Amino acid sequence: MSFVSIEFMVFTAVCVAGCYMIPKKYQWVWLLVFSYIYYLAAGPSYLFFILFATTATYLGGLWAEAGARWAVPAVLLADFGMLAFIKYTNFILGNINGLFGTNIRELKLLLPLGISFYTFQATGYLLDVHWKRCKAERNPFRFALFLAFFPQIMQGPIGRYSRLAESLYAEREFDMARIERGLYRIVWGFFKKIVIADNAVLYVDAIFDNYNTMPGYGIMGILLYGAQLYADFSGGIDIVIGIAEMLGVTLDENFTQPFFATSITDFWHRWHITLGTWMKDYLFYPVSLSRWMGKFGKWCRTKFGKNIGRALPICLANIIVFLVVGIWHGPAWHNIFYGLYNGVIIGVSGLLAKNYRDWKKKFGIEKDSRLFYCFQVIRTFILVNISWYLDRAGSTHQALIMMRDSITKFRIGVDIIDASSTWAGSAYAPLIAALFGCLVVLIHSILRERKIDTRSLLMKKPVVIRCLVLFLLLMSLVVIGNKPLSQGGFIYANF
Amino acid sequence: MDELIEILEDIQPDCDYETCDTLIDDGILDSFAILSIVSELEDAYDIRITPADIIPENFNSAAALYEMVQRLQG
Repeated sequence: MSFVSIEFMVFTAVCVAGCYMIPKKYQWVWLLVFSYIYYLAAGPSYLFFILFATTATYLGGLWAEAGARWAVPAVLLADFGMLAFIKYTNFILGNINGLFGTNIRELKLLLPLGISFYTFQATGYLLDVHWKRCKAERNPFRFALFLAFFPQIMQGPIGRYSRLAESLYAEREFDMARIERGLYRIVWGFFKKIVIADNAVLYVDAIFDNYNTMPGYGIMGILLYGAQLYADFSGGIDIVIGIAEMLGVTLDENFTQPFFATSITDFWHRWHITLGTWMKDYLFYPVSLSRWMGKFGKWCRTKFGKNIGRALPICLANIIVFLVVGIWHGPAWHNIFYGLYNGVIIGVSGLLAKNYRDWKKKFGIEKDSRLFYCFQVIRTFILVNISWYLDRAGSTHQALIMMRDSITKFRIGVDIIDASSTWAGSAYAPLIAALFGCLVVLIHSILRERKIDTRSLLMKKPVVIRCLVLFLLLMSLVVIGNKPLSQGGFIYANF
Repeated sequence: MDELIEILEDIQPDCDYETCDTLIDDGILDSFAILSIVSELEDAYDIRITPADIIPENFNSAAALYEMVQRLQG
């Protein structure tokens, strides 16, 4: 059941309406039932995987709290083992066949809906119980809701039990203002998805699919891919957070204006935030504070002195974390290089942090210099766009070829797509619509960057203005949205 | 406490560690700085800091860090 479908809208409306009509103590049960209906609608065969993760992690939490030392590694192995088997078996088999000339047949494995997201959420919960950051949930059905809550199961945000539980199981009153806020957020998400992402994807797919026959469009392709990816993923998250808000559930934010980031580190603090904080808390710190890393750190300090010796293990841990981020993005080498690219930049930046401070002093760059801030934002934007060649291309070879052709055969234009196949019968219209959408999002992002809560501002306006804004957003979906693709899924739903 | 503030200033200068109690909440210390501090504290005070100790409550101020060090020493 795609978010962009009449069925889903009706499903959500019934869920929200019913939630406030039934006795409050059963509201969380209502959410659990709807979550499992949603999951069943995606495919009954997927049910086994989420039930397995739920049961294993629920029991693991209880055992870990009771002091069973084996529980945490065993359940982590079970949860991640299942994810790795489904996601990476064919990648490994393909590489074995390539390396040794064997012909091992690949397995027919279906990727269950949202498996990465609920696995990360489950393992985070288990480690939080193990580290005594939260108490283990006693009720298996309440725990099942924590993993399966339907708005977030498809593409996150990856929730933390300590923050999510309170509002997930709360007895909630109907609040019209909250419903209205949620509605704005949902429509805003649809605007990003249908006006920007679904229009931009026409050019992105054409440029990346025809990079050999029509080379040189790389820069146009990668800029539009950035717009598509951000609008698709953050738009989807807006819809998720908006629905949850209507249901009285508070989810973590996943994006805070990533294109205003001043460094790659800052970018990952603003982009897919819940994945970044998950990686930091459950992989980066444990790896960095492990005994073998401690020994490596001591060795580095004796060899390279205090400052570099202290920074080197942290660099290595960063590279390991982003290697995992790359692998998570997909079982392919270009994704692994995408992760490593980010990890190496962040690692080296950390290594040179002291030097940066010295250089800034030497060149008299003030802490609050607007010019330097602009330089940092533009530099980060360029670095991020380079990384997206690796993310979007079908292979590392394609990414490198396209990077080269972007410079040596630079071209720009709309002749890359067939005008007759677009919703307006024009090759320009989807591009203009996507750029218009980007402009609206940019203005909104500038306001958000200045800590202006746009929805609160709108809520203070008269009803006529609020209805007009809603009407204009909805009309834009109909008039300049890309209809044929609007039934399509979200990029991150495939993770 | 003075030794601890010296460590903090060496790793991340330009901050008033005597008064600031939002080192994590305001993003003054990033994960790189946190791990550098951990490494220095482990050496200076002969303690072992685990991932379970890396929570904002322990790192938001010099006083909170000092309290954590004393707890881990005890």
